[in-house]
Amino acid sequence: MDPETDAKPRHHVRSRLMRESLLDRAVERSTEGAVYRMLPEAHVLKIGGRSIMDAGRGVVYPVVEALAAALKTKKLILGTGGGVRTRHVFSIGIDLGLPTGVLAQLAQADALANAHILGTLLAPYGVVAIPPEIFGHLLPLLIHGAPGVVFSSVPPYSLWEHPPNVGRIPPHRTDAGSFLLAECFGCKSLTLVKDVDGLYDADPQREPAARFIPEIGVAALRRLGLATLPFEPVLLDLLQNARLVDRFQVINGLHPERIGAALAGEHVGTIVHRER
Amino acid sequence: MDNVLTELGQALVDGSLSDDDLLARTSGPAPIQILPEANVIKIGGQSFIDRGRAAVFPLIDEIVANLGRHQMILGTGAGTRARHAYSVGLDLGMPTGVLSVLGTFVSMQNARMLNYLLAKHGIPFIEPAQFAQLPLYLAERGAVIFFGMPPYVYWHQNPAVGRIPPHRTDTGAYLVSEVLGTRSMIYVKDVDGLYTADPKKDPHARFIPRITVAEMRALDLQDVVIERAVLDFMVNAQSRRSVQVINGLVPGNLTRALDGEPVGTIITAD
Repeated sequence: MDPETDAKPRHHVRSRLMRESLLDRAVERSTEGAVYRMLPEAHVLKIGGRSIMDAGRGVVYPVVEALAAALKTKKLILGTGGGVRTRHVFSIGIDLGLPTGVLAQLAQADALANAHILGTLLAPYGVVAIPPEIFGHLLPLLIHGAPGVVFSSVPPYSLWEHPPNVGRIPPHRTDAGSFLLAECFGCKSLTLVKDVDGLYDADPQREPAARFIPEIGVAALRRLGLATLPFEPVLLDLLQNARLVDRFQVINGLHPERIGAALAGEHVGTIVHRER
Repeated sequence: MDNVLTELGQALVDGSLSDDDLLARTSGPAPIQILPEANVIKIGGQSFIDRGRAAVFPLIDEIVANLGRHQMILGTGAGTRARHAYSVGLDLGMPTGVLSVLGTFVSMQNARMLNYLLAKHGIPFIEPAQFAQLPLYLAERGAVIFFGMPPYVYWHQNPAVGRIPPHRTDTGAYLVSEVLGTRSMIYVKDVDGLYTADPKKDPHARFIPRITVAEMRALDLQDVVIERAVLDFMVNAQSRRSVQVINGLVPGNLTRALDGEPVGTIITAD
């Protein structure tokens, strides 16, 4: 035995993980088990930034009406993207030599501004934007008392954002923030409201023969190797490791009636599902 | 017409952020080093602070001796109480995001304790919301304490296997060193560094003074000395492409590491 180590013993608290290395693969496997659902009746919707919030009154007002109608019967957790302003601040930040974590911190402001815009429009229905500092902890209380809440769906990664595989853009943006929230709270559904019908096997604006994909699994989607996706690619990793959320649906908010339909469990866009 | 957007700005506004060709254009210029003189030092929870006074007091003395010689951003691990909280939480079905909150509380306790031990030297403990003040504290007092857990809380992503939060205090400290572009990332543990096997169980275990992430992955160790996420992130990192693991129970090791000596094990991305 090492005399240095022996002279300075550890003071353990008795537990099944006591003395174990949490980095040991066998220990990791032993921690699998059923997960408790905190908010099984609540639905998470992410309202696109550039696709919806930046598209003006003609697009946003009908979406707000559709949300207001849904709020009569369903509990909604509404996230917002940052849109064009976030892309602008990324371009300035990159030009100034700022690292990924700083870009992630800067992005919080734009999505929060859009959350306040959506919260203002939904105020007549008792739905407002909640400050990020209290949102996660108070969510069960808020969603119990109100028909819905709005949050900036930028996850709180900030300076601690992961370095991306390619380039400098933070990989966990507002789609990821909505997904991770729905997973942690065990919500009933996750719907991404964008300005496209869902996934195509090619870009429909350039390729007239592009075919619509109504439903696809994570591995099958990866095999397609599409050049772009209408959601953050990191969602595929998050979905594959999810325990409670087994799918999400991408729908076109330019057809606002699809919002209520998706919340009712109808298939009105592209569903991406987890594969086991 | 005035175009207020740069070419990249226009491409980001119009294009898809899932497009690898566009993302590749966001690589440069290289990021600035925000705090190039600072060193991030992570002090282990189970491996160090849980040993109490016998281990912690000599390290505190060594930190104090280095004030004015080196700027130190001190992060804390969680340790045995986090394991207890994880055990209780796993049994009750807590999701990974809630376990992350529980782990954060323990690393915060450890940060507060170190804070009181260093308080007479004017060294503050800061939470993530106070990181904007970090440069001032570092310039004025030469050191600052933070809790090592990254502040992901309910947004902590699941591991591929099991439910323990995969990005704990090694990762949180590493990401601080990466984003701030510091001159080093030093892990203070209770082992000399990385071995080919567990030296307590295998007498043939060999010490590894220097290794790349690729070599370490090829070894496919059942257990590793730092969280695997640190290795994954280091490969993608733009600033902090090496880390050093030292045995803080040996007096003088921290000073040697701060002075740039190759004590312990150095793990590099390249």
